[in-house]
Amino acid sequence: MNLLFLIAVFPLLGALALAFFRRMPVNLAALVGVGSMGLAALTTAWVDIAFLTGDQTPFVQTLWTWVAVGTFTEDFALYLDGLTVTMISVVVGVGFLIHLFASWYMREDLKEQTGYLYTRFFCYMNLFVFSMLLLVLGDNLLLIYLGWEGVGLCSYLLIGYYYRVPANAWAAFKAFIITRVGDVFLAIGMFILFATFHTLDVQEILSRAPDMWQRGDLMVELAALMLLGGAVGKSAQLPLQTWLADAMAGPTPVSALIHAATMVTAGVYLIARTHTIFELAPFTLGLVGIIGAITLLVAGFAALAQTDIKRVLAYSTMSQIAYMFLALGVGAWDAAIFHLMIHAFFKALLFLASGSVIIACHHEQNIFKMGGLSRTLKLPYACFVVGGAALAALPLVTAGFYSKDEILWLAFANGHTVLWVAGLFGAFMTSLYTFRMIFIVFHGKENTHAHPARGIAHHLPLIVLLVLSTFVGALIHPPLGNVLPTEDLVEGSTMQYVLEVLSAIVAIVGVGIAAGLFLGKRRLVNAAVGTPTGMRLWHFFHNAWGFDWLYDKVFVKPYLGLAWLHRVDWVNALVNLVPGLARVLHWGLATTQNGRLRWYAGSISVGATVLLVLLVLG
Amino acid sequence: MNLTTSHLIALLPLLIVGTTVIVVMLGVAWRRHHVASATVTVIGLNLALLSLLAVLNVTPLEVTPLIVVDKYAVLYMALILVASLACSTLAHAYLEGLDDQREEFYMLLLCATMGGLLLVSSQHLASLFIGLELLSVPIYGMAAYTYRDRTSLEAGIKYMVLSAMASAFLLFGMALLYAEAGTLSFSGLSARMSGGELSSAWTLMGVGMMVIGLGFKLSLAPFHLWTPDVYEGAPAPVSAFLATVSKIAVFAVLLRFFMTAPATGDGWLHTVIAIIAFLSMLVGNLLALTQNNLKRLLGYSSIAHLGYLLTVIVASDGLAIETAGIYLITYVATTLGAFGVVTLVSSPYQGPDAGQLYHYRGLFWRRPYLTAVLTLMMLSLAGIPLTAGFIGKFYALAIGVESSLWWLVAGIVIGSALGLYYYLRVMVTLYLHEPGESRRDATANWGQRSGGVMVLLLALAVLVIGIYPQPIISLVRSATLITAG
Repeated sequence: MNLLFLIAVFPLLGALALAFFRRMPVNLAALVGVGSMGLAALTTAWVDIAFLTGDQTPFVQTLWTWVAVGTFTEDFALYLDGLTVTMISVVVGVGFLIHLFASWYMREDLKEQTGYLYTRFFCYMNLFVFSMLLLVLGDNLLLIYLGWEGVGLCSYLLIGYYYRVPANAWAAFKAFIITRVGDVFLAIGMFILFATFHTLDVQEILSRAPDMWQRGDLMVELAALMLLGGAVGKSAQLPLQTWLADAMAGPTPVSALIHAATMVTAGVYLIARTHTIFELAPFTLGLVGIIGAITLLVAGFAALAQTDIKRVLAYSTMSQIAYMFLALGVGAWDAAIFHLMIHAFFKALLFLASGSVIIACHHEQNIFKMGGLSRTLKLPYACFVVGGAALAALPLVTAGFYSKDEILWLAFANGHTVLWVAGLFGAFMTSLYTFRMIFIVFHGKENTHAHPARGIAHHLPLIVLLVLSTFVGALIHPPLGNVLPTEDLVEGSTMQYVLEVLSAIVAIVGVGIAAGLFLGKRRLVNAAVGTPTGMRLWHFFHNAWGFDWLYDKVFVKPYLGLAWLHRVDWVNALVNLVPGLARVLHWGLATTQNGRLRWYAGSISVGATVLLVLLVLG
Repeated sequence: MNLTTSHLIALLPLLIVGTTVIVVMLGVAWRRHHVASATVTVIGLNLALLSLLAVLNVTPLEVTPLIVVDKYAVLYMALILVASLACSTLAHAYLEGLDDQREEFYMLLLCATMGGLLLVSSQHLASLFIGLELLSVPIYGMAAYTYRDRTSLEAGIKYMVLSAMASAFLLFGMALLYAEAGTLSFSGLSARMSGGELSSAWTLMGVGMMVIGLGFKLSLAPFHLWTPDVYEGAPAPVSAFLATVSKIAVFAVLLRFFMTAPATGDGWLHTVIAIIAFLSMLVGNLLALTQNNLKRLLGYSSIAHLGYLLTVIVASDGLAIETAGIYLITYVATTLGAFGVVTLVSSPYQGPDAGQLYHYRGLFWRRPYLTAVLTLMMLSLAGIPLTAGFIGKFYALAIGVESSLWWLVAGIVIGSALGLYYYLRVMVTLYLHEPGESRRDATANWGQRSGGVMVLLLALAVLVIGIYPQPIISLVRSATLITAG
């Protein structure tokens, strides 16, 4: 357990080494970048075993006093409990596999896009893992915030990794700025908590919150709302969801690690970590569920009308995180975290497999230009089928079935029927768009010639994640019992079986419809899209319900308008009055310095007279 | 009264400086020799400085009703002697290039120093006046010493005429006070005034006129107009002397007067002095804003600094003496350093002194260390932390805040902001690239000359005081003043 800090130290050392020795050979850079993650993974395994075989009590490792100003003291301390163990295992475990895959992927990718440093990529990736670990291990909100900003920075740097293409830089901007909006809310939430508790220590806040606040107090609702604001920004939920699809501009392993498996789930982690506050704020907690329900529908429809393989996956990520939000909203805390973990497995698998496909098809990302790849790309095809099945939650054999159905069941059992219906409909959408993608990419006519990839760095991560995405992954149960409130619902009631069968049917029907629509000549779909209404609808969904357009009109344009109005810098003009005044006074006074003796003598006399008059009259 | 040994010991600094004057004078009569005169002067001043150690053993002591030698006087004597020493080394470097009779300068300088020494230990209006005249009259000569340069002569004459006018005010004020109180000693005046019998308009007029006279010497607004002209015209070492020794001595006696006779500073006079202080801060800084002549700029800056310093007299409470001491020490070290660099770059009869800012353009690329010194002095004048100037300004602000003199505090803040502008302008000039125009430069071996060494020592002092002010603070704290006569 005392090795806990090493988990974060290894990626940091890796990042520093890669930053200082930028010109190191590619093989060495891969060794440093992946090796540091490997060491971190071994340490994590050690810590996990120590934790799970012990009594699972929370463990705090105080490294040093970070800030001490007056009565305000914050330690640089790491906190380990069941939730953290789950998170670090996902971050480091999946992170290691993705790093390994990336060492292959980037080598291939940089053959096409020359002039970018291999070391820079791994430097940012390692730094990202370090920040993410700070985020999940932080014992106080300040440290969590540091990690929170750190992952945001790395996300920005990695989305814009191919910075010579302006579109990538704009995508990076967009992601950074929109998540920053959320970060401001999070900061305000922190201020509220600090103003109330005079500490930023998470555990202390959580233990004192029930004494400090009544359920439904305005202050606690506000604090929870602000935390939620941060969470929706980071996790790309409505209304701050627009950045995620553009974030796909980054290299595919980045999308897998940051924009699917880890960073985007930070919002879920934050809400789970501060669940006591959300439990005291019923309105906000309800809002969490509603946001989840709406986002999952919005993202589901948007995913149906994408042509870029990574954007399909991006919208599916959005909808899966929306499931987690829905779970949080109905109070199914452990189901949310369970789904977070399973989602990390199968979504990382899907992204890595899509990376493999993209490289195999010579950097082609448009699914309509692929087609028929199941014959040449055996392993990616298997990955897509298993990962897609898990995403669509096909019954019994996939991991996604267990995690998603738990959420739906708990939503129903806790009386949130509307959310349950939305979730069920979302499940249908999920299997529809997932298998649409699979059928278009891997079946039908072959549009391009693909070269299957070789090498252990490519195969191993895919195979491991593939196994974890089947029911094997569902056998892992996060040790959340001591951390999050558990449900006292009876497992295995008849109603649960009925619902599971129902959702299984929904998922299978979705696959069937997808097969009917997208296998073969796709006549029906083409005909539907061919009509004016169909065309318009397709564009509407393709542009993700026009949120970008709306935000452009409501926020960006007025902001630019304001900036235009302010182009002369009125504030500065106001400030410039001061030097102007000084200059005028200076010129006024300077005329008194005319060098004439009689004038000087006269001024002394006048000054003396005024002074004496003042004295005598006063 | 009988003069005992301890009285003589108390007067030692004055006697030693006086003797040095005679020795230099006789030396000149016998054979002119610049280096010898300068050496004798420096030795005399050093001896006087050393004698202060002996003086410390007998303080506090009243020597005749005119003079009191207490620790306060000793501190300011030391300060005057050090400043005077610095001026004479600078003068030596400066006069080397003068193709004229050089030796009399040291005589004048020593006489003025004696005046300063007398002034800081005076406790009587008579000795105050004698000291002031002894200080001022030689300065007329010194200011006009390079009389073939028109500006120098003009400076001397301007200073003389206006100074005489100020002396007239001072004398008139004293006369009024004597007419009302029948005594000229500070303590006597204090005793009469605290009785409340003397709050008549005449007394107020008397004190007011004294303030006018002394305010002129301190170049406080609105009696400041002469300052830039004289600073610009006079040879650089003389400007340095005027900006340091003369200011120290006059301020010390003014503070002693108000501390010994607190009743004089009551009521409207208090307000009037506050107005003068506020005006000086603003006027000095505003006038300096676009100034292109470094010597004039230093003149304006001294107006502002004396304005800051006047806060002490307005506050007149516990911290006042400490603040005045520390502020004066830091101000003197900084001003001497700045004028020192000007002197090293100037030399007479290579044209006028190197006052124009463009003379200093790109100085850094030729004389990096000298430039570093000037930069440091500018930073110190601006009151940037880690320099002596910051400590001084901090004290001035502290005393202003402590006495709730918010107007003056605001004045200090505004003044400092304005000041930063022109001090930084000087610094920027130093580091610009040479335009390739006519340049003024210090000699190559400036660092080995006495003036150069002095400048480097001052820079070191400014830094040390800025970083570790404690020794200076405790030194100044020990310099107590005896108030009850």
